[in-house]
Amino acid sequence: MLRNIFNDPLDLRKRDHERAGQRRGCASCLSVDSTTKDAMVTRAQSELNSHLAQVALGNRAAFEALYDATSAKLLAVCLRVLKERAAAEDAMQEAYVKIWKNAHRFEVTGHSPMSWLITIARNTAVDKLRARKDHDDLADHEGSLRAPMAGPEAALIAKSEAGRIMACLQELEADRAAAIRGAYLDGESYQALSDRFKVPLNTMRTWLRRGLMALRECMTR
Amino acid sequence: MSTTEFKDDDALAAEFALGLLEGDAAAEAARRVREDRDFAAKVTAWEMQFAEMAEDLDPVTPDPRSKLALMARMFPADAPKPLWQRVWVWQAASVMSLILLAVVFVASTTAPPATGPLYSAEIVSDAGDFRVVALVDKRRDEIVLTRTAGAAPEGRILQVWAHGPGEPAESVGLWPEGETVRLSLPPRIAAVDGVLTIGVSEEPPGGSTTGSPSGRVFGTVDIPGVTPAF
Repeated sequence: MLRNIFNDPLDLRKRDHERAGQRRGCASCLSVDSTTKDAMVTRAQSELNSHLAQVALGNRAAFEALYDATSAKLLAVCLRVLKERAAAEDAMQEAYVKIWKNAHRFEVTGHSPMSWLITIARNTAVDKLRARKDHDDLADHEGSLRAPMAGPEAALIAKSEAGRIMACLQELEADRAAAIRGAYLDGESYQALSDRFKVPLNTMRTWLRRGLMALRECMTR
Repeated sequence: MSTTEFKDDDALAAEFALGLLEGDAAAEAARRVREDRDFAAKVTAWEMQFAEMAEDLDPVTPDPRSKLALMARMFPADAPKPLWQRVWVWQAASVMSLILLAVVFVASTTAPPATGPLYSAEIVSDAGDFRVVALVDKRRDEIVLTRTAGAAPEGRILQVWAHGPGEPAESVGLWPEGETVRLSLPPRIAAVDGVLTIGVSEEPPGGSTTGSPSGRVFGTVDIPGVTPAF
């Protein structure tokens, strides 16, 4: 069932086998790691998971708990994109409305809970930044949250690479890493990036794509 | 499929996840996300990884008003719930202010109080067309009720009922008019230990003649953990 999710799925699958070791065969155990840090992350994740499951059932208390646990992070994400406190608080509120309405989709999207929340907040803020229409539902590039996933194994593979991007960004040339961070964290468009780095638009495009491919290569290494 | 195609698709998925695509390219990628599971999985994988960049951001605590505004926006007033079952923050705030008014009302019209607890609750009809905030004052063994929505039909009055666990309801008193009424608790109600149930019905002038509610019961509310005063 593993198909071309990344460049070399077979190699990935092998790595996953090696990492998972004897835990193989218990699908839900695979996300549990023995190191303390990972165990802490897993605990926080399972708490968020249970909040999200309750939110999907329309539990307002769980929604409030989720808000209390995550709003400072999501506001930081929105603020970084929008730069303005009031607009950021607005975007964050919009993100939570989407989270409430779409919590039942969370399980099938294959995201870790925090990544899912951050993705929604970040995309909402970027939509606002670009003054796109249609904020009511998950629109445009948030379409991915609606999409059926390629099964739990896809999520598992994505998970096995979690935590790699920060290290891999450091391996990139500083400018390329800065451009990728700018595109994600600041929501910069190709035009904005080409202005910032003072290179023609097409050069910027090529440049960033190469950066992304180098990043992908590093993360699947 | 060649390696190049894989890489192109991967780059495209990343660009889409970053929101860098514009116009037709963005629309085409959005279509693929909906229809092509592999492509959707690639986008999701990138989104998950990009999201980790946000780990470096220092949390920024939102203005508390943001949460109030969000709750008000998401859970507007048209879906009533009894207070003890979880009320939204904004609504709690408004109910609290009513309770505060009731407390002030009690405090301003009674002698300096002995010590004793206060219990508050809200009675809401299923249809949401009738709402009453109730404050049980164990210092005085009194109950103060304030209507916040609805009223008795023309030519009818309200009557307040209460009972303890497993007991039949008995009349606490009549509420012929006005937004607020203050009633003394009958001895059996004052002696309730545990869950005190309060209800409001509409009745003919003079009250129910049967000893039990005879008209429409707008709603009831359970107040747990009530203890009798000494």
